[in-house]
Amino acid sequence: MLVRSSDQLPRTTVLKRFPVPRNFEVSPESRIEAGDTWHAPADATRVKRFEIYRYDPDSGRNPRIDTFEIDLNTCGPMVLDVLIKIKNEIDPTLTFRRSCREGVCGSCSMNIDGTNWLACTRFVSDTAEPATIYPLNRLRVIKDLVPDLTHLLAQYELIEPWLQSATPAPEKERIQSPDDRGKVDGLYECILCFCCTSGCPSHWWNGDRFLGPAVLLQAYRWLIDSRDEAAGDRLDNLEDPFRLYRCHTILNCTRTCPKGLNPGKAIASIKRMMVERRS
Amino acid sequence: MSKHRMRTPLSRARGLGSAKHGVDHWWIQRATAVALVPLTVWFVASLIVIAGSDYNAVMIWLRSPLVTISMALLLVALFYHMALGLQVVAEDYIHSDRVKIPIVLAMRFTCFALAAAGVYAIFRIAFVK
Amino acid sequence: MERDTRPLSPSLQIYRPQLTSVLSFGHRITGIALSVGTVGLVVWLIAAAAGPHAYSTVQAFMRSWLGFVLLFGWSFSFFFHLCNGIRHLAWDAGYGFELRTIYASGWAVVAASAFLTAAAWVAGLFAVG
Repeated sequence: MLVRSSDQLPRTTVLKRFPVPRNFEVSPESRIEAGDTWHAPADATRVKRFEIYRYDPDSGRNPRIDTFEIDLNTCGPMVLDVLIKIKNEIDPTLTFRRSCREGVCGSCSMNIDGTNWLACTRFVSDTAEPATIYPLNRLRVIKDLVPDLTHLLAQYELIEPWLQSATPAPEKERIQSPDDRGKVDGLYECILCFCCTSGCPSHWWNGDRFLGPAVLLQAYRWLIDSRDEAAGDRLDNLEDPFRLYRCHTILNCTRTCPKGLNPGKAIASIKRMMVERRS
Repeated sequence: MSKHRMRTPLSRARGLGSAKHGVDHWWIQRATAVALVPLTVWFVASLIVIAGSDYNAVMIWLRSPLVTISMALLLVALFYHMALGLQVVAEDYIHSDRVKIPIVLAMRFTCFALAAAGVYAIFRIAFVK
Repeated sequence: MERDTRPLSPSLQIYRPQLTSVLSFGHRITGIALSVGTVGLVVWLIAAAAGPHAYSTVQAFMRSWLGFVLLFGWSFSFFFHLCNGIRHLAWDAGYGFELRTIYASGWAVVAASAFLTAAAWVAGLFAVG
């Protein structure tokens, strides 16, 4: 199967960024400065530039943008291949998370050309010139492209993502019809890459209290699991002006999910359940 | 010592727990929105129709019972929808309670006052020669 | 340990504007514009109740260039907020969440708002004569 594009929809660029200053509303320690440029070897033919966000916590300096010129003829097709080539051959201090290199582990999620995706499933040919690579949005940066996901994972723990059943466990499996099992399709496949949550403007402004699309998608996954018995308590836990209702159906989440899932739809279903249990 | 380092991530994420309310606000916002679709379309269409009319024609139109009732319903639904919507905007962008609560209160009071003024004007037109 | 001195990765500064976020922001901005405009609506009603002299003052302002600009902006805000609001109500009912439908409905809202604004103004200028 020939995969022509690594984004969900064709892209027409009207605006690359919102018309705000580059360092708009940015605290002093987050201001991005100009960085170094690493040129390609002289005999390189197919050269492409990559502008990558760099931050070294040991240097005491502000974050910067480094530009790398890469010969695509000596590099694999995906953005992750470019990052690995840079780390192997040009700058070994470039730091990023990666594991499966096939889009199933969720480690290499980052902001590429302004939207969040997995580096290992984004074709270099689908990127702009120069391609811009940033860490996931509005998260504390540990180093280079590695954000601190502690708070997001704590929010995931908050929704108690495990089966809750007061009924004693049966001797064999808990029975579930194919239809009931089908309700969990489109929800269980989430790899917790947090592309959606870090792309949600509501989570940018209220991330301390708003749970975000990834966590709410998983909350819905447990709400409609027919084997789970704690739907009422789960809904009580979610019914909060900030935990759930900061979602204004912006739908950046559905647009950016690299697995093709639909957090916006799941959150709307939770809101409908909230109304359903009162009427 | 920052208090942030002393708390576990789970305690910071949990905060003060779920408020266990919020669906009412959401539902009323949608209910007023559904009511406002026909009411506002009717109002804007009427404005276009009476665009060229003089004062007396406008007053006769406003005085008719159906228009009086519809305008009153429009104002009530409109200002309720508006107050809830603006509250959500304030909650999104203002994080300090010290600033947010007075602003939300001021917006609510203003909406209520404007609604009262508007309804009074409509009834005055309808009942006072 | 001191407060968190690590940098915050950029968000609004570098995120790509997409139809999803742009229309959502438009819905909010038009909502706020409409809220400000309701003050004008109440002023107009009170002027009508107060008598022909007050009413003609307000009408004269509407006909001035500033009044025209405000009225035009308010009318576009109204039609955009109405069309996008209906799109929102469809989402709340559970319809239209597939990505292609989101984009199709989004462009339809933009086109419909522009068309309705133009149509309303043409009809209004026709009525005025």
